[in-house]
Amino acid sequence: MRRIHQLSLLLPLAFFIAACVQYLGIVSGDVYSLAAIYTRDGFILISLILSLPLIYKQKWASDRNVLRGLRHLFFLIIITSGILFLSDERLGLLQERFLEKNVLSASLADAVFIISWAFFAVVFILIALGTLRNLIYVKRKRTTARNFTWLMIVLLLYSLASVPEYYSESALDSTLLKYLNYVLLFIFINFAVINSFRVGWINYLNKKQKLGCFWGGLILTPVQIGFLSRFRDINPIMSFSPLLERFIEMGMVFLTIYLVTSFLALLSHLPTAKIYDRKMQQVQSLQDLSRALSSEFDWAKLVRTIIKLASEVAESEFAWLELYDPKSGKLALISSRNLSQSERQKWKASTDGRLVDKLSRTKDTMLFNQASKAELVRSVKKWKKDIGSLMAVPMIASDRILGFLYAAKKEEFGFEQDDAEMLRAFSDQAAIAVQNARLVEESIIKERLEQELRIAHEAQMKLLPKHMPKIQGIEIDAVCITANEVGGDYYDFFELGDGKLGVVIGDVSGKGPSAAFYMAEVKGIMEALAKEVRSPKAMLVAANETLYRNFERKTFISLIYGILDAQDRRFTFCRAGHCPLFLVNSHDEQPRLLEPRGLGVGLDAGTVFERTLEQMQIELKEGDTLLLYTDGVTEARNPKGDEFGEERLAETLLQVKSGSPTEIKKSIIHNIYSFFDGQNAYDDLTFIVIKAQSDEKAR
Amino acid sequence: MDTFSIKRIDNDDYSTLHLEGFLDAHTAPELESEFEKLMGEGRFNIVVNFSELNYISSAGLGVFMGCIENIRENGGDIKMCCMTPKIFRVFDLLGFPALYDIVDDEEKPLNYFANKTHKFS
Repeated sequence: MRRIHQLSLLLPLAFFIAACVQYLGIVSGDVYSLAAIYTRDGFILISLILSLPLIYKQKWASDRNVLRGLRHLFFLIIITSGILFLSDERLGLLQERFLEKNVLSASLADAVFIISWAFFAVVFILIALGTLRNLIYVKRKRTTARNFTWLMIVLLLYSLASVPEYYSESALDSTLLKYLNYVLLFIFINFAVINSFRVGWINYLNKKQKLGCFWGGLILTPVQIGFLSRFRDINPIMSFSPLLERFIEMGMVFLTIYLVTSFLALLSHLPTAKIYDRKMQQVQSLQDLSRALSSEFDWAKLVRTIIKLASEVAESEFAWLELYDPKSGKLALISSRNLSQSERQKWKASTDGRLVDKLSRTKDTMLFNQASKAELVRSVKKWKKDIGSLMAVPMIASDRILGFLYAAKKEEFGFEQDDAEMLRAFSDQAAIAVQNARLVEESIIKERLEQELRIAHEAQMKLLPKHMPKIQGIEIDAVCITANEVGGDYYDFFELGDGKLGVVIGDVSGKGPSAAFYMAEVKGIMEALAKEVRSPKAMLVAANETLYRNFERKTFISLIYGILDAQDRRFTFCRAGHCPLFLVNSHDEQPRLLEPRGLGVGLDAGTVFERTLEQMQIELKEGDTLLLYTDGVTEARNPKGDEFGEERLAETLLQVKSGSPTEIKKSIIHNIYSFFDGQNAYDDLTFIVIKAQSDEKAR
Repeated sequence: MDTFSIKRIDNDDYSTLHLEGFLDAHTAPELESEFEKLMGEGRFNIVVNFSELNYISSAGLGVFMGCIENIRENGGDIKMCCMTPKIFRVFDLLGFPALYDIVDDEEKPLNYFANKTHKFS
C-alpha cells in the first residue's frame, strides 16, 4: 500500500472535527436551527468528498494480494460487529431517546460517544470500500472504473438527499423529495449490483484458497447481514448527521450485497474447483514446455523436463519416453519417471509389438483404462506389471514419428478422455522440442567436423615444402591445390648433397583428417630414410616395410620416389603404384608415359612388393620436361562426367613443352579449370614439373 | 551426388556382388558393411563383378584391402571380374593384379570356387 499523503488525511479530518464542534454546540446549548444543521452536514459532505481519494489510494501490488484483502475485510467486519455488539445497549438507549423527541437532548458524554461511534463507523466503511474497490478492479475492463465511480457519486448524492428529507417542513417538498430519494436509491442499488458482479478474483484462487474463503464467507455473511440490520435499528448517528448516517448505512448495504454475491459465486465455483485447478496446472505445464522448447537444447535436461511435465499433465504415477535412434532406427528408452532400475532393464523395445504399430498407424493417443484386459498392452505388462491404466501417444514432428510417450497409473480407470487429448497436445509440443534439440546437436557436430577438416587442411598445407629447391641446370615447380575436402596428396624434395635431389610425390588412400594424418607419417618416414638410403628402390622397400606395419589394413599410399642428379642429369626412380610419369622431349610429337612396375606402399608385407618393384633411369636432355602428378589431375571431371584423362594432359603438355616449369604449371591448371567449367574438383590437384635447362642457360 | 549400389546374389558355394555406379570415399562404407555382413554369415568365397562400376577411388580400393586378410585366413578369397578397361587401369597402376585374381568373365572364379568346394568335401 502506498503511503497516504498527510494532507489528504488531515483535511477531511479537519472538516469532520468542525462538524463535531458544531454538533457539540447544538447539544450543549440546545440551540436548534436549520442553518446550523445544514452547515454541519455541509462540513460532513466536504469531509466525505475529501476522503474519497483514500478509497482509490488503497492499491495492491498485484492480484496475488486478493487473499490479503479478503483477510483484512474479514477481520474488519468481525471487529466492527464486535464493537457494535458491545456498545449495543448504550446505542439503543440513545436511539430511543432520540426517537422520542426527534432532536437529541443528551449529555456531552452521550454526544462524544455518538461522535466516536460515527467516526469509527465511517472509517470502517471507507476502508471496506477501498478493499472492495481493489477486488472489483481485479482484471478490470474499460467500464469497471466508470461503474465504481458512478457508484460512489450516487452514494454521495443519495446521502445528500437525506438531509432535506429529514428536516423538510412542507408536505409538497416532502413528496417530491421522497420520489427523488426512491430514484436515487434505485440507481444506487443498480450500481451496487453491477459492481457486485465483479467477482472475477475467485478464478485466481486455487482449490484450497476457495475452501478457506468458503468457510470465511460462511461466518462473515450472516455476521454482516446481522450487523447491517442491527445498525439500521439502533442508529443515533442520525442525530449527529443524517447524511453521514445514510452514507455509512448505504456503504454497508453495498458491502453486504457484494459479500453475498461473492459467497454465492464462490459456492458455484467450489464443485469444479478441483478440475479447474487441474486445467490451470495443465495449461501451466504446456507453458513450461513451450519455454523449455525455446531455450533448452541440452538433450539430457530436455528429456527430463518432458517426462516431468508429461506426468504432471496427465497426473500419472509413471511416465516414460521411447525414441527411435536416428542412426540405428531402433526404439530406445530415453527417459522415465518412477520406473525402477530392474523395470528399466527389463524394458524391451516393442517394435514388433502391435501397440507401437497401431500407434504409428492411427497417429493418435490411445487410452487403456483396464490395462489387464487390453491385448495391446500385453507387451508393456511383460516388463511393467503393476499398471492399471495406460495412455500412449506417438511423438510426431514434421509428419515423422520420432517415438512414443507413455503415462500410466496403478489404478484402473485412472484417465479421462480429456487427459488423453491433453497428452496429445503436449506430445506435439514435445516432439518439436526433441526435433529442434536434435537439429542443433547435428549442426554442432557438423561445425565441429568442419573445424577439424579446416585444421587438418592447414596442417597438410604446412607439410608441403615452402620453397622450390635450387639445383644446377634443372628448373622445378610444383603445386598442390586441395578441393573442398582434405585429401591425401603429398610431394616433397630432399637435398641429398653432391648436386643430388630426392623427389617424392604420393597420394594416401581415402580422404579427411585421417588421410592428412597418414600423409604426415609418410613425410616423416621418407625424410628420415632419404638421408640414409641412396637407391630409390631400397628406399621404397624400407618405407613399405615400416608403413605396412603402421597403416590400417585398408589404407595405402601410391608413391614415386626418384633421385635427380644434376651432374649427369639423370633421374633414377621407382613407381610404387602411383600414376605414371610423363616425359616430353623438345622435339617429340607425343609425350612418353613412363610406367615401371610397382605395387602401392602398404598393400603387401614386403616380398611381393620387393619382387614387383622396378627401378628405372632416364637421361634428361636439354629442354626435356618431366611431369609427376596424382590421379586428381587425370580424374578431374567436368559437369558432364567426362574425366580430364591422360590424353588431355598429354595434349596440354605438348602444347606448352617449350615454356618454363612455371608456365607449364599455369597452363595445366588453366586447362583443367576451363575443363571443369566452373564445377569443383573432386580430388586434389597435385603435380611437379621438372625441366632440364638448355645448356646455355645452365652455364 | 553420384550413386552407388550393390546387388548381392548368393549361390551354394559363393556369393556375387554386382557393383554399380561410383565407388568413392563417400560410398565405400556401403561396400565395407556388405563385406562385413558376408563374413558375419560365414560366406568367404566372394566374386565381385565390376561390369557396371563407373568409377573407383583409392578409398574404394581400400575396402578390398581391408577385408582380404580376414577372408583368406578363413579359407576364402575375393575374385574380381568383368572390369571395364578404365577400372582395370586403376587396379593395374596400383599393382593389384599381383595380389588378387582379376579375370575377364564370371565363369573362371565360378569354376575355381566349385573345384575348391569339391576338394574339401
